[in-house]
Amino acid sequence: MDIGKLKKYSDLAHDLNVTKRNSLEKMRARQIMAYNGRLFRADAQTINTVSTLQAHSKEFYLLDTNDNPCLITDPEDFLRKLIARNQETLNTLSQLHDSLKRRS
Amino acid sequence: MTTGVLLYCFNTPTTAYHKLAEKSISLIKKNLKLPITVVTDNHTKKHFNDDTIDYIIVTAKTENFRFYRGQNVPWYNMERANAYDHSPYETTLLLDCDYLCFTSNLLELCDSQYDFLLHDKVHDVTGLDRIVGKLQSTLPIVWATVVMFKKTERVQMIFDMVKYVQKNYEHFRNLYRIKFKNYRNDYAFAIALHQLNGQVGSQNFIPTPMSMLPHEFDVLETDQNSVVYSYNKKINVLTNTDVHVLDKEFANVG
Repeated sequence: MDIGKLKKYSDLAHDLNVTKRNSLEKMRARQIMAYNGRLFRADAQTINTVSTLQAHSKEFYLLDTNDNPCLITDPEDFLRKLIARNQETLNTLSQLHDSLKRRS
Repeated sequence: MTTGVLLYCFNTPTTAYHKLAEKSISLIKKNLKLPITVVTDNHTKKHFNDDTIDYIIVTAKTENFRFYRGQNVPWYNMERANAYDHSPYETTLLLDCDYLCFTSNLLELCDSQYDFLLHDKVHDVTGLDRIVGKLQSTLPIVWATVVMFKKTERVQMIFDMVKYVQKNYEHFRNLYRIKFKNYRNDYAFAIALHQLNGQVGSQNFIPTPMSMLPHEFDVLETDQNSVVYSYNKKINVLTNTDVHVLDKEFANVG
């Protein structure tokens, strides 16, 4: 194959990979949210943990991003906010993902 | 409870920092919507025309320098140790004037009960991972580019410690085997935190890494949402992401 074509493909792959990497970092930055004075990551792990604990208890302790405990007194409110922020960030990422697919 | 942004901005013979600050201020107003105080000197103040900002005039120490694109250039960065005294706010976001806030993400930090947060990790947006900070000293690096602090006794102690470290920097530089000979706030804050924390490494940090654009990359364009940059004939864009831009020439681009 023409080396020029391979170079062009490599350049495009580089751009796409860097853009994807930065987009994931942007998503993670936006997923940080303050709740009850602590900082949490609105990711799948936190959502699953809160959802599981909520099924067993009306209030519970959870470690925040700096491993400090926080008493969650209104799990329903917390879960709603986590899911809203999580889906906001994934929606943005999804739109970007679609635009990258069109470039490749 | 007042919350605001504090910037330090001193023009040097080689860099018009006020132009960087103007870009930063425009984004802070748009995305953070917080009051702003700029600590500057008389010479630099003449270039600011924005009367919605508060100014504190000081005389900057001018003996420090930094290595930038193959040469040593003047660097007036030593006043930052006085941020606790200078800030008129109960909660302060202390930012470098070349840190561009394209989002409101930093507001989450202010809403937490933490009284002192900064980054301990960086993300090189170019994908080359050039900024790692490893093997440059024997203590864990922190980044003083973005610092959220509140007026508490503990935070006052941190800043007093930073001042002490600055005053005795050569001793601490040798103690921690810091590779760089110039004074860097990153190390002064790292040393102060290490000393005050009983020389144990655990602290509270901003949970995500700070995005940085290394100084080898040229910024071609900035607008209210993005930074376009180039390196080695390649062009890329960073959109809606807070970023610390190390290329100082970007002051002169649109």
